[in-house]
Amino acid sequence: MKLKKMLAVGAVVFGFAALQAHADTELEFWTMNLAPKFNGYFDQATTKFNAANPGLKAKWVDMNWDQIQPKLVASIAAGNPPALVNFNVPWVHEFAAQGNLVALDQYLGAAKGNYSTNSLKDVTAGGKVFAFPWYNSVSVIAYNKDIFAKAGVKAAPTDFDQFISVGKQITAKTGLPAYAPKVGNFVGWFAYAGLPILENGKAVFNSPKHVAFVQKFADLYKAGVVPKDLFKVEFEQEIALYNAGKIAMMTTAPQALKRTETDAKAIYDKTGVAPFPLGAGKLAQGSWMMDFVVPKGVKDPAAAAKLGLFLTGDEQQVLFSKATETTFPSTKKGNLDPYFQAGKNSKDVVEQARAVAAGSMDGARTLVITPGQLPDEAALTKKLQDELQSAIEGRKPVKAALDEVVAAWNEKLAK
Amino acid sequence: MKTSSSYTTIAYLFMAPALILMGIFTFWPVGFNTYLAFHDYALVDGTATWNNFAHFKYIAGEELFHSAIKNSLLFLLVVPVIQLAALVVAKLVNSKLPGMTFFRASYYIPVITAVSIAAVVWSNVYKYDGMLNMILSWVGQALHLLKAGEMVEIQWIGDPHIAIFSVMGFVFWKGIGYYMVLYLAGLQAIPAEVEEAAVLDGANAWQRFWKITVPMVKPTILLCTLLSTIAAIKAFQEVVVLTRGQSDTYTALFYVYAQAFQNYNFGRAAAAGLVITFFCMILAIIQFRFFGEKK
Repeated sequence: MKLKKMLAVGAVVFGFAALQAHADTELEFWTMNLAPKFNGYFDQATTKFNAANPGLKAKWVDMNWDQIQPKLVASIAAGNPPALVNFNVPWVHEFAAQGNLVALDQYLGAAKGNYSTNSLKDVTAGGKVFAFPWYNSVSVIAYNKDIFAKAGVKAAPTDFDQFISVGKQITAKTGLPAYAPKVGNFVGWFAYAGLPILENGKAVFNSPKHVAFVQKFADLYKAGVVPKDLFKVEFEQEIALYNAGKIAMMTTAPQALKRTETDAKAIYDKTGVAPFPLGAGKLAQGSWMMDFVVPKGVKDPAAAAKLGLFLTGDEQQVLFSKATETTFPSTKKGNLDPYFQAGKNSKDVVEQARAVAAGSMDGARTLVITPGQLPDEAALTKKLQDELQSAIEGRKPVKAALDEVVAAWNEKLAK
Repeated sequence: MKTSSSYTTIAYLFMAPALILMGIFTFWPVGFNTYLAFHDYALVDGTATWNNFAHFKYIAGEELFHSAIKNSLLFLLVVPVIQLAALVVAKLVNSKLPGMTFFRASYYIPVITAVSIAAVVWSNVYKYDGMLNMILSWVGQALHLLKAGEMVEIQWIGDPHIAIFSVMGFVFWKGIGYYMVLYLAGLQAIPAEVEEAAVLDGANAWQRFWKITVPMVKPTILLCTLLSTIAAIKAFQEVVVLTRGQSDTYTALFYVYAQAFQNYNFGRAAAAGLVITFFCMILAIIQFRFFGEKK
């Protein structure tokens, strides 16, 4: 009898526990390329979220960036997508256009005001927000104080015209190239200068203003202010040039300075940091934002959004930046955290760069042309880059080059 | 007593492992690629719809694809040069002098070097302030062709007029060892008596090379020419790592890659791939006519 009773109680308890366990909604969230380096951060985040939200259970899954899309597509097709997925900005627009994402406006509520204006713009399509802005970065100027002194330059440039004139001065006085700004995606420079690229479905970047802007680069090239192989310079090459003392300024993400610190201590010790000046478009250079989307077909989108808001809130974003040391929050308050601001008075260049970049984050905008706007984007981008290279390297007049690209673009856009 | 049909079965069984692998990784992709070339393929739901040759019509009018095909065909210039050079080098390292193993290994090292690593080295050779220009500057200074302190600053992989030839130089360096080994095997199959007889008959080295060596390694020449022609048409890795398609070095396979993985237009990429295969087959037929055994 006793045994039967015990068994019955046991069964009830077990059943109840099983029911309880079943009642927990599991919220799986996928990130790209963050494990195992940031396991500590995510353990902390999930524990905290689960404790504060009984009934919800966040579960972190990390994968390689190129697996995310196929796995997500498969899981949507199987009717079992994860609650949140870490996307970059172009993917948000691709998937939103396909109707595979949940619009988040109703879940954002007042929290919408926490994010920087540009970060929200980056993930807005057709007037609706499709992602929670997460971490980001911007370019700063790191400069070699010795070369500045030799050229008689007192301070880093504060606007784009100064950027040009300071560069010319450095090259004229020292014979060295001043900098090697990345030109691999030139439409970004048009946006930076506040110049339109497409208007009413037509390419418009051959106006006199555009020509004058590109001409500035052509003049820099001719005067040797930028290296001869400018169009081959990317992240790695720019760091190498700066670390070898072959250019006066490095215009790049703050984490590049970590490389200077380890690879070229002598140069690092005479490095100063300044913000990259905002262009006429009031945009900062070098942003590439990460975010979280809620895929269509999620069973409890409100719970998923809760987790999204938690992970991209001020507190968690600052904690994540502390873990990475090189990324920045996309929230307004996040960047005002003492962690970023302390660097202002620091002697350490990496910490200075952190403060400088945090100050530029409001101007960080990733997107220039919304994906899907250009037919055959690969071919059109190639045409633009090839012609610009010819123009800047002086093989073709700027006007003729831009006219040719605009004609080619409009021919394809009209189809 | 084994019947002939059981022999056939056993033969097929021996071939089966290789055939299954080839089926999965070669024949099926080729078939599916051909199917895709005639369809609009939606990546998200995996549906393909017949599009009435739209991809072929598109690439027929696409200037970028034309210039890509032109560049790929231009790459064929490497073929005769690399074949002749590989045969000559094979002939040289086939002699029984001390230290020959060292030379054979040296020529083969580029083949086993990862293309990405080799490209980092070569981009420093080809840079405007790189090794090649430095050597040219020294020579120029020594011969008083340049003023004191004047440097040669040719952008070997930045100038659209010469970049593709520089990439070919890289391909040549990377590939010569491979063909050398194949020719070496061919040369060692030539009986020594033939050569000795020719020497007794008074043939000089030049005559022996053209009248004995070349005809006797003809099957190897066919194989190597075919392989290097296909490799030339398929030039892609070398371009990606050295120039990323800048400076008029964009090749046909680069176009295929960009359409598939930048535009996600797999149908158009498949169609372009099919056109390239067609070019490869025409060239293969021509080569079989030239070098193949006459029946």
